[in-house]
Amino acid sequence: MKKKRSTVTGITVEYEPLWRRMLNCWPLYLLLVPAIVYYILICYVPIAGNVLAFKDYSFRLGIWGSPWVGMRYFEMFFNSYDCWRLILNTLHIGFIKCILEFPFAIILALLLNEIRAPKFKRVTQTITYLPHFLSSVIIVTMMQRILAPNTGVLNQVIAGLGGDGSTFWLMQASAFHEILFGMDIWRNIGWDSIIYLAAISSVDQELYEAASMDGCNRLGQVWHVTLPGIRPTIGLLFIMGVGGLLSSGFEQMWLLRTPGNMSVADTLDVYVVRVGLQQAQFGYASAIGLIQGLVGLFLVVTTNALSKKFTEVGLW
Amino acid sequence: MEKMRGSGRIKTSAADKAVSIVTYVVVITLCLVILLPCLNVLALSFNDGKDAARGGVWFWPRVFTLENYGEVFQDGSIINAYKITIARTLIGTLMSLIFTSFAAFALNQTELPGRKIITFLITFTMLFGGGTIPTYIQYNELGMLDTFWVLVIPSLVSVTYLIMMRSFFDGIPYALQEAAKLDGCGYFGIYFRIMIPLSKPVLAVVGLYTAVNLWNDWFAGAFYMTSDALWPVQTVLQQMLARAMSASQQITNVADAIAASQNTVTSDSLKMAAVVITTVPILCVYPFVQKYFAKGTLIGAIKG
Repeated sequence: MKKKRSTVTGITVEYEPLWRRMLNCWPLYLLLVPAIVYYILICYVPIAGNVLAFKDYSFRLGIWGSPWVGMRYFEMFFNSYDCWRLILNTLHIGFIKCILEFPFAIILALLLNEIRAPKFKRVTQTITYLPHFLSSVIIVTMMQRILAPNTGVLNQVIAGLGGDGSTFWLMQASAFHEILFGMDIWRNIGWDSIIYLAAISSVDQELYEAASMDGCNRLGQVWHVTLPGIRPTIGLLFIMGVGGLLSSGFEQMWLLRTPGNMSVADTLDVYVVRVGLQQAQFGYASAIGLIQGLVGLFLVVTTNALSKKFTEVGLW
Repeated sequence: MEKMRGSGRIKTSAADKAVSIVTYVVVITLCLVILLPCLNVLALSFNDGKDAARGGVWFWPRVFTLENYGEVFQDGSIINAYKITIARTLIGTLMSLIFTSFAAFALNQTELPGRKIITFLITFTMLFGGGTIPTYIQYNELGMLDTFWVLVIPSLVSVTYLIMMRSFFDGIPYALQEAAKLDGCGYFGIYFRIMIPLSKPVLAVVGLYTAVNLWNDWFAGAFYMTSDALWPVQTVLQQMLARAMSASQQITNVADAIAASQNTVTSDSLKMAAVVITTVPILCVYPFVQKYFAKGTLIGAIKG
């Protein structure tokens, strides 16, 4: 639909000077004021505040008055004992979250789409969406109870099966990634499947009939019709996900961290809060945050470019 | 769609039957895996704390009691935290809906000069942001730390919801707006009399998402507050959890667990009661909005 200037004035929009068009739109600018003030104060000033990474911050002098230190904090970080351990931990967790967990919601959506009983389908959806409404704190509190040594449900099952039921799962570095993976799937699989279900419902129904005529069974239809039909959605969500490779979900890490699993649960996000907010090393923590942000931006832009080149799916 | 695919069939093949069976088995298992832990929490919350520490409470309380809930409600700091959480959720959601829909409406009007550049600048913040520390320092400069506003303002106008609303407005026939303009309706008139009344689905979905995020957030309370006077309830729970995590290091056997449950401030049953009380209110909103979910997410996806 092509929009034109109101016919009341009899003048089309192209011939009016910019200032007059802006003047005519003053109510719209007024409506935009709160959002613009918000984005400037809460988003853009902190983006400019990234210069903190190059400054020795003092509360008294403020960001702009504090002395420059050049690349000192970046050198400090890359020379530190923690550096590579943190990066590897972050990448490991990022890989689990962005790559390993990615297909599960798609699989659930495909399964739900195969269910023909509408009532059963609705109940299933309601149940699988439920964990999305629980906060990380609640979920970790529940897990702490369920995974507790001896008295936790998991250990009681293990003991019941004749095993040793005294493992303190949350203190085991070796079990950390499995716990994380389980928690994520448990929490997100239903919610993340909504978007794929919506995409599936917009696939052309005639394609299914045609496939059926050609002797395609249900599995074949999923493979030849549904999956290609939702490929753009899968692509978009994947590109969005890749940007998070280096920021692995602060909340979960912070809550699941125990002295026992610290060696694998310490990620860049956690480290930034630890040294930044808790130890007030603002410049140093900002430098690490800036690296994360830039790498994330680079990853999204690159994946998007590659995806556009090879599959014609892109965010912009 | 179901009808079309069902009636054309001559006979379901064995392979299709196998697909059906596998589908149902997997989906039912998943539902059980999601529900059973929740049932366990419920059972524990209604069970006597000392008794629960012996273990063996599954999906039904063994020694039934309402004491845990009573104790939670008697705790002054938890009641205070609830008040803050409720205030934050109501005020925050309302303000978000108002400001986000204002901006979405303005950016939806094609004749607005500069709308492309404003949209780009807003969307860009999704890809690159200020990071934790510069944000913290900005909140400090604005005098937001240790005030109620730090619980509300950070999530005031979210990019995702803004785009969702704008796309929804795109779907409202332009003829309606044009007719209103011809009748002498200004932008405010169009916004209040046409767009808002027609946008209930998207307002419901965005409202619910915002409310859930505000209700569930513990970060602001934990890191932007130096005193616990303004802690929302999730932060109170998080501090309990943190204490439990550090205290539980020493517990390695049943005797210790029982001793600990008698000595420490909060037994697990009490904690589970707090978990239930904290979760139920937000879950109550969910059925009312569920029907809008698929629609809302799809809109966001296409234009996202």
